[in-house]
Amino acid sequence: MDATPAVRLDGVSKQYADSYAVHHLDLDIESGHFFSLLGPSGCGKTTTLRMIGGFSDPTEGSVLLAGEDVTDLPPNKRNVNTVFQSYALFDHLGVADNVGFGLKRKGVPKTEIRKRVGEMLDLVQLGAFADRKPRTLSGGQRQRVALARALVNRPAVLLLDEPLAALDLKLRRQMQVELKQIQREVGVTFVFVTHDQDEALTMSDRIAVMHAGRVEQCGTPEDIYEHPSTGFVASFMGTSNLMTGTYRDGKVSLEKGPDLPVGTRTGISDGTAVSVSVRPEKVWLSDFEPGMAKLSGVIRETVYSGPTTTYLIELAPGVTLSVLEQNTARARMEDRWSGGETVEFAWRPEHCLVLA
Amino acid sequence: MTLVSTPTATAPARESARTAKRRRGRRRPRVLIAITTLFFALLYLPIAVVALFSFNSQKSLTVFDGFSLRWYRAFAHDDVLIASLGTSLRISLVAMAGSVLLGVALALGLVRCRTRLGSLAGLIMLVPLITPEIVTGVASMLLFKGLGIPLSTFTVMLAEITFSISYVTVVLRSRVAALNPEVEEAAMDLGATRWQAVRLVTLPALLPAALASAVLIFALVFDDFVLAYFTTGVDPQPLSVRIYSAIRFGVQPTINAVGTLMLAGSIALIALALFIPRLFGRRGGLDLLSGE
Repeated sequence: MDATPAVRLDGVSKQYADSYAVHHLDLDIESGHFFSLLGPSGCGKTTTLRMIGGFSDPTEGSVLLAGEDVTDLPPNKRNVNTVFQSYALFDHLGVADNVGFGLKRKGVPKTEIRKRVGEMLDLVQLGAFADRKPRTLSGGQRQRVALARALVNRPAVLLLDEPLAALDLKLRRQMQVELKQIQREVGVTFVFVTHDQDEALTMSDRIAVMHAGRVEQCGTPEDIYEHPSTGFVASFMGTSNLMTGTYRDGKVSLEKGPDLPVGTRTGISDGTAVSVSVRPEKVWLSDFEPGMAKLSGVIRETVYSGPTTTYLIELAPGVTLSVLEQNTARARMEDRWSGGETVEFAWRPEHCLVLA
Repeated sequence: MTLVSTPTATAPARESARTAKRRRGRRRPRVLIAITTLFFALLYLPIAVVALFSFNSQKSLTVFDGFSLRWYRAFAHDDVLIASLGTSLRISLVAMAGSVLLGVALALGLVRCRTRLGSLAGLIMLVPLITPEIVTGVASMLLFKGLGIPLSTFTVMLAEITFSISYVTVVLRSRVAALNPEVEEAAMDLGATRWQAVRLVTLPALLPAALASAVLIFALVFDDFVLAYFTTGVDPQPLSVRIYSAIRFGVQPTINAVGTLMLAGSIALIALALFIPRLFGRRGGLDLLSGE
């Protein structure tokens, strides 16, 4: 493992008038990683990316690429390339000239430009489109041109600003897989900005969840999803059934509702106000196993969505829980629970997340 | 039985509803058509008369005597008018080049410079569009006189450039504003300096609009009389000024021929201006005309 991180942000801030877009950010991005900056709009993730790319100057702190301080260097002097959200293709140039733009700027000989552009277009499966104008391509194809145009320069770090946001769902899924494959193939460090937690989870080696200009949590996708360290991360990463109450002796008493068994927690003293979160897929409605804590509630809503069904279960007036069930081969069509029914459900106490 | 009879029973009813709809659609707004016809008649009849009599075989301006190219030949042999035509073409070309260069630069500056001074400049830029041309003409003349610059073809060029920059800037400003700022950033990301990014990416994107406004400026300047009248010297005068002087000594049918040629040229240029954006396979050349 390379000791020097590909990107290091050292106390970086971006201040506008009286508010911080990015607040004192420390971040190391390891070489060769697929790293995602994840967060809702306005959380500072794009600003962070722009500061790495050199399009925005930090008001404080420094940006290091491969150990070298590049804070004061313009974009054209940094060994990074960017895939812009709008793709930002040059409409007056053909696809091949778009991809070869960076090499031409660097003074690479023409024959080598042609060779490398051809290879890159083949990599993104656009070999047959070299002479087309960008405007005649579909969204997915334009996205690939933007990717090829950046990657052909063999940057140390590739910055991607929500590159899949404009694509429809099916194409987005396909491009997620392809992007990940390409990243593995070329071995370039990818810094990927997205607001889509599924996208971040499926593609990343590491994720930094950002909120209000700060990193809330940084870790592997599994870390972030299974062990969110803050309420914000828990609720941002999928549905989380966040409830508040008081912890006492392995249980959390809700303000209005039953006691939830959450298992004994060291480090949280009795009487502490906490929030509890349990993922919808960790709650079972049948086939309980020993060691699970059982509760009961009334089904208020069933939402069928193909492979899964989501049930909204009311534990007490005003306290509902969302529960996700796989529609497996069993004859669920007949015995699926229906609204108004009182059901038993259960979870493993250790699957509950308790945040003090 | 019912299943079969139902469609046949309703078919005639449906048919009559359809014809009624068609008849309603065919009813014409007669009053509107009359007003429109009158408008175009008033606008174009005088021009049509000029065009028609330019082909008159006789000198009369009231009786059409037969088709001939006599007056076109007379124009071709009129050295003074031909010299004036040359002056007008020179002025138009120089004014076109000058105002497009400066106008594009001004448009870029106005959109990118988001300071109070910048928006003030944006407002001042519009003033020439609403100033009566005669005021601009007199002011230009007084300025040149005051500076001791003798009036000549050169002073007409200067005045026309000054006057035309606003048109170019108005057209180009919306194009510049519509540019995706990420495109210039992309160029810089790929190793271009700031100036290279403008030259290699921004200017090519503005080229269709710049060409279209160039054609428009050429047509406007070529036809212009007022500014030219106040700022021209005695070296071969611009064609419009020349025609005005000629008419004071009695209307020659040659003028009809010149006028018709100028009209044909202007129409061709405007058509070209509208066509240029399509040549580049995209919209947004002449925003002034398309109202976008």
